[in-house]
Amino acid sequence: MDIFLQQMVNGLTIGSLYALVALGYTMVYGVMRLINFAHGDLVAFSAFVGLSVYGSLFSEGTTSLLAVVSVFLLSALVVAFVGVLLERLAYRPLRTAPRLSAVVSALGAGLVIQNSVMLIWGPNMKIFPTDFFPSTLWSVGGIVITFTQVMILSLSSVLMVGLYFFINQTKIGTAIRAVAIDQDAAKLMGINVNRIVMIIFIIGSALGAVAGLFIGAYYRGITFDMGWMYGLNAFVAAIMGGIGNIPGAMLGGLLLGLFNAMITGYISTQWAETFTFVLLIVILVFRPTGILGEKVAEKV
Amino acid sequence: MKKMLPKIAASLAVCSILAGASVAADVIKIGVQAPITGSYASEGQSIDNGVKLIVEQYNAKGGILGKKIEVVTCDDQGTAQQAAICAKKLVNEGVKAVIGSYTSGATEAAQTTYFRAGVLQTSDGTSDSLIAHKYWTFFRNSFPNSAEADFTAKYFVDGKQYKKIVVLSDYSSYSTDLGDATIKALKAKNANIVYEGKIKSGTQNFTATLTKIKAMEPDVIYFSGYYTDGGLLRAQQQQLGIKADFVGGDSNDNPDFMKLAGESAKGTFMINVPTPDILPYDIAKTFLVDYKAKYNAMPASIWSLMNVDGLRAILHAMEQTKSEDTKVVAEAMHKLKDFPGITGPVTFREDGERIGGGYMTYEVQADKSYKIVYQ
Repeated sequence: MDIFLQQMVNGLTIGSLYALVALGYTMVYGVMRLINFAHGDLVAFSAFVGLSVYGSLFSEGTTSLLAVVSVFLLSALVVAFVGVLLERLAYRPLRTAPRLSAVVSALGAGLVIQNSVMLIWGPNMKIFPTDFFPSTLWSVGGIVITFTQVMILSLSSVLMVGLYFFINQTKIGTAIRAVAIDQDAAKLMGINVNRIVMIIFIIGSALGAVAGLFIGAYYRGITFDMGWMYGLNAFVAAIMGGIGNIPGAMLGGLLLGLFNAMITGYISTQWAETFTFVLLIVILVFRPTGILGEKVAEKV
Repeated sequence: MKKMLPKIAASLAVCSILAGASVAADVIKIGVQAPITGSYASEGQSIDNGVKLIVEQYNAKGGILGKKIEVVTCDDQGTAQQAAICAKKLVNEGVKAVIGSYTSGATEAAQTTYFRAGVLQTSDGTSDSLIAHKYWTFFRNSFPNSAEADFTAKYFVDGKQYKKIVVLSDYSSYSTDLGDATIKALKAKNANIVYEGKIKSGTQNFTATLTKIKAMEPDVIYFSGYYTDGGLLRAQQQQLGIKADFVGGDSNDNPDFMKLAGESAKGTFMINVPTPDILPYDIAKTFLVDYKAKYNAMPASIWSLMNVDGLRAILHAMEQTKSEDTKVVAEAMHKLKDFPGITGPVTFREDGERIGGGYMTYEVQADKSYKIVYQ
């Protein structure tokens, strides 16, 4: 039983990271019907920005609330800015172009970001400061949970719940939903579509940035090409939950993390990915729009 | 007179060829095939530096067999394609022996060319396939994975008397090879292996596998992969509160392991041949002092010193036999017994394998330094 609960904790931690990244995919898709393939690389970029911010502002070995807050805020700011820039340069000129052109543009933008990271920080693995978060850990019964895991689980749930209320309760949230349903009609209602798209990219990229920093703090080793792996998993999570649907992305991410941990723990590492994709196929066969997906298939 | 001209020209040409030949015969050429650029550049440059230092020392004493030694370096970039080109180039240059290369792949790609041309070759590649051809020209100057596996098994069973052993590998051919060899060696000693598993290199999240291992309550977790995964495994093992010892194979021995593992690096065990700075032999100490004086740096790793030992064995055999005929030299090398090397005694088996091991177990201290705990 202890082992099962420990696998739950492991799975939920990685699942929350997938969910944070998946939100970026799903929000952009919901509004623009575009798969932002550069999103995973923004996540990797964020980890490197965080590393540099920490390295330039604090001396090695600093563990303080100020360090954590400033690294998170500054990195999220930088990554959000790059996200907006990405939309301006790579997606806005193609908004009325055929969808395939936009997807190719997204893939290209991803390569540009990935290789820029490589040129700036080098091709070798970089090590995230090990004392960014305190190394405290708690054992409850037979389960061990670290401070970093608690941070990941709590901050990502706060962000996800916050986002849910932001989208459903605020004026801007209503505008976002309106643009997602019909851009032209939204424009006629006096909504500035470009501004909404910008907000989407700011939020999506900032959430990705948080995920990137958590990946750095939790796993320590960061490489310029790690965005691909996290991006792919998060993309699968977004599809599982129903792409375009915000609670769906959260659910998909958590489910994927849990599923992966259980398969690795009870069957084997070799089979983890196979089973993940079998699960995806099964979900899509029975619910083509994902678990919580709305009926948007005919619009695509 | 008109008829004379071609004859003069011809005799001049013959003279110049003879002159050229006599100049060529005054030196003995030694080739270096190493990755001077690319991912393993630091290792390749270090091999080249080491070879040049030894050659310089020989030449200062008047060379060998009354001739000066000349070094010809070819950059194989650590790739098989470039290695094949280098092999042809060095053979055309007329080298007697080639030192290198660093990677098993680049060494294997050049092996046959040297064998056909009768050029001696010595390399540090650890892959078992390198000696599979039994070429008389090839001498491995490092120890194979199976030697490390035997040492590991001896340490686990005789030294530590571990009762429950976990062996983890990744999917790379090196790690699988070392992992399988270790399992085989452990089974031969009737050790109790409770879990043999694989992790996927680069996935970073090993908690699921480790949680599974936790339930088996092992005494030791042995990992045969690389430091990038090893450091994380160690850190996550500590986080999950698994009390077992962590023992890493030779590829875990890297400064980045310490950074990745953070505080949990302390108490980790590493199995490897000694690092250059703790080699106990006098000959090693002198060499390192000379190397530092010339290049103002330490050799990149033990592997460059292994290659230097290969070169020293070849030169020693040439002096002993007073011959530069590679067949004769190779025969003498196969008969070498405990030739004093920088990295320990050098003895070659008939198929070119270096006999011995000289492996040690280090324990990582709180300040990230090493302490030898078993050898």
